[in-house]
Amino acid sequence: MDFNISFTAGAKPEELYDLIIIGGGPAGLTAGLYAARYKIKTLMIEKMPVSGGQLTATEWVENYPGFPEPILGQKLAKDMETQAKLFGLEVINEDVVKVELTGKIKKVHTPYAVWQAKTVLISTGSSPRKLNVPGEAEYKGNGVSYCATCDGPFYPDKIIGVVGGGNTAFEESLFLAKYASRIYLIHRSDNYRADEILKERVEQNPKIEYVPFYQVDKIDFANPDGKKIILSKTPNPGNVIPAQAGIRPVLSNPTHHPESVGLRPTTPSDEKMELTVDGIFIFIGNDPNTKLFEGQLDLENGYIVTDRSHKTNVEGVWAAGDVQSKALRQVATAVGDGACASYWINKYLEEWKE
Amino acid sequence: MPILDEKIKQEVTKILANMVKPITIKLFTQGMECGYCKETHELLNEIVATNDKLKLQVLDLEKDTEEVKKHNIEEIPAIVVMDEKDHGIKFYGIPAGYEFSSLLNALLMVSTGVAKLTDETKAFLDKLEKPVDLKVFVTPTCPYCPQAVILAHQMAYYSDKVTAEMVEVSEYAHLAVKYQVQGVPRTVVNEKWFQEGAAPEQILVEKIKEAL
Repeated sequence: MDFNISFTAGAKPEELYDLIIIGGGPAGLTAGLYAARYKIKTLMIEKMPVSGGQLTATEWVENYPGFPEPILGQKLAKDMETQAKLFGLEVINEDVVKVELTGKIKKVHTPYAVWQAKTVLISTGSSPRKLNVPGEAEYKGNGVSYCATCDGPFYPDKIIGVVGGGNTAFEESLFLAKYASRIYLIHRSDNYRADEILKERVEQNPKIEYVPFYQVDKIDFANPDGKKIILSKTPNPGNVIPAQAGIRPVLSNPTHHPESVGLRPTTPSDEKMELTVDGIFIFIGNDPNTKLFEGQLDLENGYIVTDRSHKTNVEGVWAAGDVQSKALRQVATAVGDGACASYWINKYLEEWKE
Repeated sequence: MPILDEKIKQEVTKILANMVKPITIKLFTQGMECGYCKETHELLNEIVATNDKLKLQVLDLEKDTEEVKKHNIEEIPAIVVMDEKDHGIKFYGIPAGYEFSSLLNALLMVSTGVAKLTDETKAFLDKLEKPVDLKVFVTPTCPYCPQAVILAHQMAYYSDKVTAEMVEVSEYAHLAVKYQVQGVPRTVVNEKWFQEGAAPEQILVEKIKEAL
């Protein structure tokens, strides 16, 4: 049994901090660790009582170097936090509601206080993207989920639809397969972005079945005994990128699979299908948590634009991790971003004058 | 075998060193302890041993009927965190995993007398006329859940009209069915109104207004 502790105390709003880090995922925690070692007076503001961000909702991390045995996401997060605090990082659990970034002194508002600093590092990460289909918001928490470690236990021997084609969708399908009796992995094409190793595992798992070339049109969980999702063939199949070599859908036409009891075509051409499920998990990528910064910072598709030193277009403001406009969003890249940003912030502070 | 390892125990000791007032933890269990009752009992023994200001009182669901009635206990294992007064702060099921933070938070909050709520929320709670009960359903592997539990417990501590229970739903399948829990955290307000997810203070306040 695990016992996860995360605790904070001691920060005072009347202090002027050298650095405020907004968001306590791997990028923020690493920046915090480096900053604490530089002896920069640093405050991290994390809204959740446990630091770690998305890492906390990840079961196993297999691709973070140094851990040849997979490490639990919650353990890695906890250890990162412990390490940073060991060197003196202060963390408070408050929700940032407003920022004033342009002045010499930056102001960060929470419902309880206004925190002030010479520099700000934004590491607010990203949140699961919504499908934006009818029924999704309505049945959130009632069969619609974005967190497998949270809600997986509600689906023993149940049928689950998982939407997505990337690493998260594949990893979480494998996690959910520990509980569920059957998983339909629904994706717009048969071109899966997940790492090869995950594809192999999914294909070897008898509980997981690919449903390629379909998108979710509607989630209809109104009848608790007949929950269903409505799928339709992805439009413009011509736009779908051809399958990568060696990857082939288990089923080109899932409706004809004898075991696919839950799948029922509603039109003769299979244009539309009804899928009977007990729940649906959505892993179709993330959206950056940048609403607070709109109009204050340069954004690109919602992500914060930075230069090579992780600086934003506003003086004294940096960004690191998933929230940055960049190609790869992993724990390994986030910690690098955080370390680098702290380095440049430290340099900047050496020259800082009121 | 101890339930908390040495490192965690040290950390608990350090955190609880900030306690001010003495705290009583009441554990409701039964003679032949259920699996989680036993583990919860052991966990509390180990926590109480870290600080003189903590006292554990073990009660029996069958025998201690008056206490059961007084604290309105419905399931076991149940934990009540209180000082000289019951503030309506309860845990049903073992506060393990991420919920361990919620338990430590409750101990510190009651001991230091500080509930972190905005002035707006406090003003709203001050004006409550009817009782408000908050049941927060969680799983131990849900990182978003402590936020919802801690908020509910803060409201319970601040207002005599509010009671708040963490419910570790995997231990009480019948409650999952009764309250239609299929995702966590889920806060049930006065048995009927639901709030999904770890909602900020104002959102939960709005939900409570709806329920009243």
